[in-house]
Amino acid sequence: MILDEAWRLSPSVALRPEPFGALAYHFGNRKLTFLKTPALVRVVEQLADHADVRATLRAVGVPEAQHDAYAAALEGLADADMIRPRADAIEEAS
Amino acid sequence: EEQDVTATLTSEDLIEEVSIDGMG
Repeated sequence: MILDEAWRLSPSVALRPEPFGALAYHFGNRKLTFLKTPALVRVVEQLADHADVRATLRAVGVPEAQHDAYAAALEGLADADMIRPRADAIEEAS
Repeated sequence: EEQDVTATLTSEDLIEEVSIDGMG
């Protein structure tokens, strides 16, 4: 389940801020994806700073009721190689 | 008390993939 996994933004991806959120462009596969909420942009940017996706969502302030939708969106980004699994684990400060 | 709005959010509301192949 992606919520319990560690991820990071792909090094091949550039984010361009937009009023609605951001454009994500992958220089390798040349895919372009709209990130349609500012919260999702913050989640993607902060994935590498937290132990797993769930911790990132909480840090950004995404309501629990929206976690499944964000997880599905991140799975879509993973399919496009916009984000990649992270092998290392980060200890969350309590 | 917004709860209905949060419950109906889908991944389509969050991301949209765009094909740039057609982008002469």
